[in-house]
Amino acid sequence: MPLSRDYLMKRLILLIFVMFGVLIITFVITRVIPARPELLWAGPHATIEQIERARKELRLDQPIYIQLGYYLIDFIRGNWGISWRTKSSVLQDLLNALPATLELIILAFFAAALLGISLGIVAALRRNRIIDSIIRVFSVLGASMPVFWLSLIALLLFSSWLGWLPSSKRVDEILVIGTGFHPITGFYLIDSLLQGNLPVFVNVLNHMILPAAVLSLYPMSLSVRMTRAMMIEVMQEPFIRSFIAWGLPKRLVIYKYALKNAIVPVIASLGLSFGYTIIGAFMVELIFVWPGIGLYTSMALLSFDYPAIVGAVIIVALFYSAINLIVDLIHAWMDPRVRF
Amino acid sequence: MSEMRVMFTLMRGNAVSMAGFIIVISFIALGIISPYILTRPEDAWGTAYDVSKRYLPPSIEHPFGTDEYGRDMLNRVILGARFSLMIAVGVVGLALMIGIPLGLIAGYFGGKLGNAIMRLTDMFLAFPPLLLAIALAATLGRGLGNAILSLAISWWPWYTRLIYVQVNTVKSMPYVDAAKVLGLGDLKIMFKHVLPNALTPVMIQAALDMGSAVLEAAGLSFLGIGVQPPTPEWGLLVSQGWHSINVAWWISFFPGLAILITVLGFNLLTDFVREFMDPRLRITMMAKRVI
Repeated sequence: MPLSRDYLMKRLILLIFVMFGVLIITFVITRVIPARPELLWAGPHATIEQIERARKELRLDQPIYIQLGYYLIDFIRGNWGISWRTKSSVLQDLLNALPATLELIILAFFAAALLGISLGIVAALRRNRIIDSIIRVFSVLGASMPVFWLSLIALLLFSSWLGWLPSSKRVDEILVIGTGFHPITGFYLIDSLLQGNLPVFVNVLNHMILPAAVLSLYPMSLSVRMTRAMMIEVMQEPFIRSFIAWGLPKRLVIYKYALKNAIVPVIASLGLSFGYTIIGAFMVELIFVWPGIGLYTSMALLSFDYPAIVGAVIIVALFYSAINLIVDLIHAWMDPRVRF
Repeated sequence: MSEMRVMFTLMRGNAVSMAGFIIVISFIALGIISPYILTRPEDAWGTAYDVSKRYLPPSIEHPFGTDEYGRDMLNRVILGARFSLMIAVGVVGLALMIGIPLGLIAGYFGGKLGNAIMRLTDMFLAFPPLLLAIALAATLGRGLGNAILSLAISWWPWYTRLIYVQVNTVKSMPYVDAAKVLGLGDLKIMFKHVLPNALTPVMIQAALDMGSAVLEAAGLSFLGIGVQPPTPEWGLLVSQGWHSINVAWWISFFPGLAILITVLGFNLLTDFVREFMDPRLRITMMAKRVI
């Protein structure tokens, strides 16, 4: 059933309101709270001229509401400042880094959803058996895991000690030069397939396994728990029990009728975990030297590259709001009770 | 009080929940007594420096090994519990101090003011967890106090929402109407009749949230914007061992394990309390206990 125009409009207005809020809050944090924002903006080793230039750039001699006005205009125009670490436009840097992060997170979420939902179904159907207990322990461990620590341990085990998987970057440089691989979309898995470059495809996938596995743990744990709880509830519903009593194949009942009714909160829980995952990516990308938004932000934090930090915070918050909207729309589309 | 007794009886029957409870209690106890049980306090506080003992692997003398300055990691991890506890209590406490009054006002008075407060929480919750704290910590600079403040400011909207919902239910209770009819002032009704009856779920949630606070604070420290070295905060300890992980895995391993166990304890306890609070699940729990 299609969504009504009213509902879409309402959500869109809410999204614009929230994005406006994000910009106001970042403005307050970065321009109003610091005693001398120009010192942060110009970086730790700035000369007096650079600080003076930052003062002008931020229009700190103007009243606060004019500063806010210019802040919003600069944001819309894509004038997000110059990173003094990379010496280039922050927005350009972020857009360049975006595909690497998206590719990693999409793979992680795909794995998390697939594994999480299947394990959740198994746990629900074998409720209170050993396999259920194992899956539950595993999922609560996954939800408690400090992601940066797990990355280090995984790196040590699978890369340094066993030598099975590469430790950093997206692809081996030698292979790139040797096979003439060149990025088109920035999504290396897609690019390598487009160029029919199988060695690079395999190499990229190898590089992705560890960081994607670490990142997928949290959303997977959440979806296991949600799938299990929902499936237990749905399987006890009268209509499911009738289907089973009528002698419909159990497989059909589980996957077609029960799962369909259990899936909506699972999708919502995956959406909820997106926020944790993208922040986890800050640390995971730093450890695996994965050249995405996360590595860019973490490097900016470690080198006090303030314009880059502010830009990254804004872009991540906007992304998060957009994902939330998409999850809500899926929710409304699948469950008409939400649309009011 | 009898509610508490029922809870403990049920918990004793459940080994996993009991484990969670024991972990949490041990963490709190360790956080309180840790400075007094250190065998090498100068190692723990990070003032010692002994190159001859650097990178010693775990042994009987140094069960968690030593770091690049020859400091005993067991002592550092034990003292780390104190900082994690301070951060957890500080973050949750400060967030409650901001969140409760705002939620109470929004719920009790409602109207335009209430609406404005709730829209403000929407704006704060538009940031993924930790992102706002990262932005704030990067602005305020490193330090224990700044880390607590940054996390608390990204945290309070959750409590405002919780209190708001609770206050809205309590507000329509007959005893509140009675108080109004008697001519009591708004402030008196808010603090004497509404707040005490709306507080319990929020306080329970806040106590359980301390695990997440430990985890997020560790993340901040790992990114270099949390506490300052040589403070033995667990996240910072993991990050300090990172660069020598191939020669001395134990420097990062044990502090990270401490984070994992602590957060796990809080999560196990959260699961139990959630089941306990849900009447349907509680009946199953009790039935299992009787049989």
